[in-house]
Amino acid sequence: MKRLWAILIATVMVATLLAGCGSKTSTEKTIEEKTSVSENSDSTEDKGAFNGASGKVTIWYYWETEGHQKALDHLIQTFNDSQEDITVEAKYVPFADFKKQLSIGASADELPDLVILDNPDHAAYAAMGIFADLTDKFDVSTYYDGPVNSCTLDGRLYGVPFGSNCLLLFYNEDMLKAAGREVPTTWDELLETAKACTTDKVSGFAHSSLQNEEGTFNFLTWVWSTGATAYEINSEGGIKALKMVKELVDSGAMTKEAINWTQGDTMNQFISGNLAMMLNGTWQIPTMRSEAPDLKWNVAPIPMDVQQASGLGGENYAVIAGGNEEAAIEFLKFATSKEQSLYMMNTMGYISPDSTIAEGQFKGDPVYEAFVEEMKYAYARGPLPEWPDISDAISLAFNEVMTGASTPEDAAAKAQATIDGILGK
Amino acid sequence: MTKIKKMFKYDNVGILFVLPAFLYMIVFVGYPIIYNFILSFQDVTVKTLRKDIKEFIGFRNYIELFQQDNVLTLSLWNTLVFTVACIVFQFIIGFALALLFNKKFSFSKPVRGLLMMPWMIPITITGLIFKFMFSTDVGIINYFLRSFGIISENIDWLTNTVTAMPAVIFANIWIGIPFNMILIATGLTTIPAEIYESASIDGAGKIQAFWNITVPLLRPTIESVLILGFIYTFKVYDLVYVMTSGGPVNATQVLSTYSYKLSFEMFKYSKGAAVANILFIILFFVSLLYLKYVYTEEEA
Repeated sequence: MKRLWAILIATVMVATLLAGCGSKTSTEKTIEEKTSVSENSDSTEDKGAFNGASGKVTIWYYWETEGHQKALDHLIQTFNDSQEDITVEAKYVPFADFKKQLSIGASADELPDLVILDNPDHAAYAAMGIFADLTDKFDVSTYYDGPVNSCTLDGRLYGVPFGSNCLLLFYNEDMLKAAGREVPTTWDELLETAKACTTDKVSGFAHSSLQNEEGTFNFLTWVWSTGATAYEINSEGGIKALKMVKELVDSGAMTKEAINWTQGDTMNQFISGNLAMMLNGTWQIPTMRSEAPDLKWNVAPIPMDVQQASGLGGENYAVIAGGNEEAAIEFLKFATSKEQSLYMMNTMGYISPDSTIAEGQFKGDPVYEAFVEEMKYAYARGPLPEWPDISDAISLAFNEVMTGASTPEDAAAKAQATIDGILGK
Repeated sequence: MTKIKKMFKYDNVGILFVLPAFLYMIVFVGYPIIYNFILSFQDVTVKTLRKDIKEFIGFRNYIELFQQDNVLTLSLWNTLVFTVACIVFQFIIGFALALLFNKKFSFSKPVRGLLMMPWMIPITITGLIFKFMFSTDVGIINYFLRSFGIISENIDWLTNTVTAMPAVIFANIWIGIPFNMILIATGLTTIPAEIYESASIDGAGKIQAFWNITVPLLRPTIESVLILGFIYTFKVYDLVYVMTSGGPVNATQVLSTYSYKLSFEMFKYSKGAAVANILFIILFFVSLLYLKYVYTEEEA
């Protein structure tokens, strides 16, 4: 009897295991059936509006700011209400996991239909072959060059710029006044002003210096300002930029803790009154205005060496190849239309990558106007599939210099060797 | 009929019992390990991920990792330092607390329960709390050290290549103490009180009783705690990622964070897999050691 029970239990256990697999295949089947049914209904009825595009479109995005998420939800809701064939859904993936999810998705063929991603990563994923070729499907002739270049690989367009932003110097007006200082315009002035503003509780200056893309983005503004490119770290300009951050940190003008600060952390320190000046981007303005309405601050061009320079940031839309491409493109056409794009850009505090839209944006708001103006001096990172490697070498270099682990010259030489290796020099 | 009966004889039924677990292990444990090994011998980067045929390059990933940069050697060394330092302190403090709570005194049970807290808190949260406490300008640790006059200037714990590792180790010791304490405390309850009684009649002091009764009788427990602790600590990831992300300048880069960085930040999937395999092989041999102890114990 006991043995019978044993056999029974064992069989049931094995059976449930098999049943587990079985049920999965059956759901897959129903999905297949459903899609084929909807395809049929389209071909027979042909609602016309979207040339037969229909079904579900899933979007992945990484904005953690509540205002950004609400804006996207609003855009999607408007689109879903405007027609019946396509249903768009958005899924939030944290920034830290975004690349991982996209890579895993690419190897497992489980990708969404549309992604909104950080523009320096665009080339790498385009090279991976997961993005649909949108050449001739979108007119980007009125767009700024920088954002369009970031979506382009080997002359083909693999995405559409979503929105752009750049970096400027933010300063606390009261703190500068208390220290009796003007807004700095050169590196020397920045150093002096930052030192003058530093007290027990307040650091004079900081920018996110994490050993990742965020840190590289901020640090490169110094390199570009010397006239060197991101690929020339072991040049006069590159070494000069590294020496500059070293002096900022060594003299106490810049807090070393910025090594562990994201751009969001930096902004929080600034609005909490712990920071007199910082480098930060367009996207922080809505949060700063709502979180610290009484704080008196303003923006100015980043103090420069030989030329004015800023970093170009922002996101791009990319359609996943092999997904629900037609429907995703229809949504994209809707989202990039003037009315919708303007709504998104204004709500999120972004600058439209379409110059015809950007020029009419933010009239009468001097802070935003300063950012629109700075777009002319904003340099793009990449586009290069190997950009993450190069970015890593650069961020290692300035981290080595800031922590004192290595001299600017040695760090620059090491970074250059890595960069040259990647570029195949 | 007899054949079927024979099939379900005592021994064979055992196989049926094992089968579900065996299949589960093959699919969810065996396959990823084998896949990871294959991946580490191929050249899979951002450009080749979606290609059907991936180039087989033998040990080149491993050779390049060891030759080209010293980050791998550094991560190996960091992981080892981290593990040994954590285990030594966790074990000693955990042992002391276990001995303390083995004595009956009022509130010993609720206090012991409270000491389990660090083990219960999600590691990400612990990491964030310690990151805040170790902050240079606003951290409570610098505040205390300064008010007691131990330091005159703030120490930049997590942004200094020398102090970052000790800070992360400190946080992990705090997390690991309850694990050591509870296992050793359980071991202590298995030692009969009579042995101590007869020893004290024979004139043995407390210290003698500890070294000659407690330690030898606890040997199996101690071995398990140390080996399990080694395995848990060696594969640390979340704490380091939250507190320092491996920085500054790779000062706290351990094998797991380095593997993650290679795979998902730099898109070098095969190299990331190779680092993960090095981690796996080391833990595999430690696990074998553990199994050996468990078997000899059961036989004895």
